[in-house]
Amino acid sequence: MRTDACRAAFRTVLLVVVAACAGLPAYAQSARLQITGLEKLASKAAEVVDVTLDGPMLKLASKFIAADEDPDADKTLALIKDLKGIYVKSFEFEREGEYSPEDVEAIRAQLHAPGWVRIVGVHSKRERENTDVYLMSAGSEKAVQGLVIIAAEPKELTVVNIVGPIDLDKLSALEGHMGVPHLEMEKDKSPSKAAGSHEEKK
Amino acid sequence: MKPIEEELRAALRKQEPPEGFAARVLARVNTRPTPQTAWWAPLRAFVRSPRWRWVAAAVAACLLLVAAVVYHRREQRMEAQGEMAKAQVMKALRIASVKLNIARRKVQEIDRSGPQS
Repeated sequence: MRTDACRAAFRTVLLVVVAACAGLPAYAQSARLQITGLEKLASKAAEVVDVTLDGPMLKLASKFIAADEDPDADKTLALIKDLKGIYVKSFEFEREGEYSPEDVEAIRAQLHAPGWVRIVGVHSKRERENTDVYLMSAGSEKAVQGLVIIAAEPKELTVVNIVGPIDLDKLSALEGHMGVPHLEMEKDKSPSKAAGSHEEKK
Repeated sequence: MKPIEEELRAALRKQEPPEGFAARVLARVNTRPTPQTAWWAPLRAFVRSPRWRWVAAAVAACLLLVAAVVYHRREQRMEAQGEMAKAQVMKALRIASVKLNIARRKVQEIDRSGPQS
């Protein structure tokens, strides 16, 4: 009698452990990064952009973008249609050295998880600018499930984390639309910056 | 006259009550306890009064007004939240697009300058 009770309890514990272990890969595969650790930089920053939009807020935003009369609203809607979250932390500092390499490394460490692939890594020694773009792919068709952009400059640190299927070409094509500045025009105004890029290495 | 009619007549013939019957009935009526008034009786009386219509109309109007105000405030809050979410989406996409394009251009520049150096 007592043995039966012990067996039943053991089975229950085993089921719970198996269920918990089954959920682990799903969590590990999530394209959402923990970037809340960067919040401590807000007090040192001159300008802070903190965007946290999860599923319900994205749906709400979609309704308002759909109601927008802007002809480019459809492009934005198509881009965010299936997204599960958009998280951005961007800090602009008055002085250099306000954030430490460890702050960035804590983000990069999460990108060692399986599924993440760095597709672009631009590191400029002269301008001390580092930009990395990571993608998480999943499924047999290797559909993009997440995007992370880490842009670290001496006086600026930006981390973008987009969770869900994102089309990079569409995201890139937003330039010049919906209030996104056209960088070609800006770059033409500052030829010195373009010349300096020869020092960069991929 | 038929026998059945005679039987009926006999059965239904007038009979005087026993002596003291009326007095006993009256005494019984007087000793019966008066029924207790129900707690809702005044309310029922009020509802049946003509004033009730005006009070009910006023209360309904007040409730409608409160509901309208609550709904309007809720809509306003939702609209504010929606506009804020929209602005945040645009801001996030703007930053993502700009940073992505900067990276792409840098890679293109490196690719172009690579064979020359």
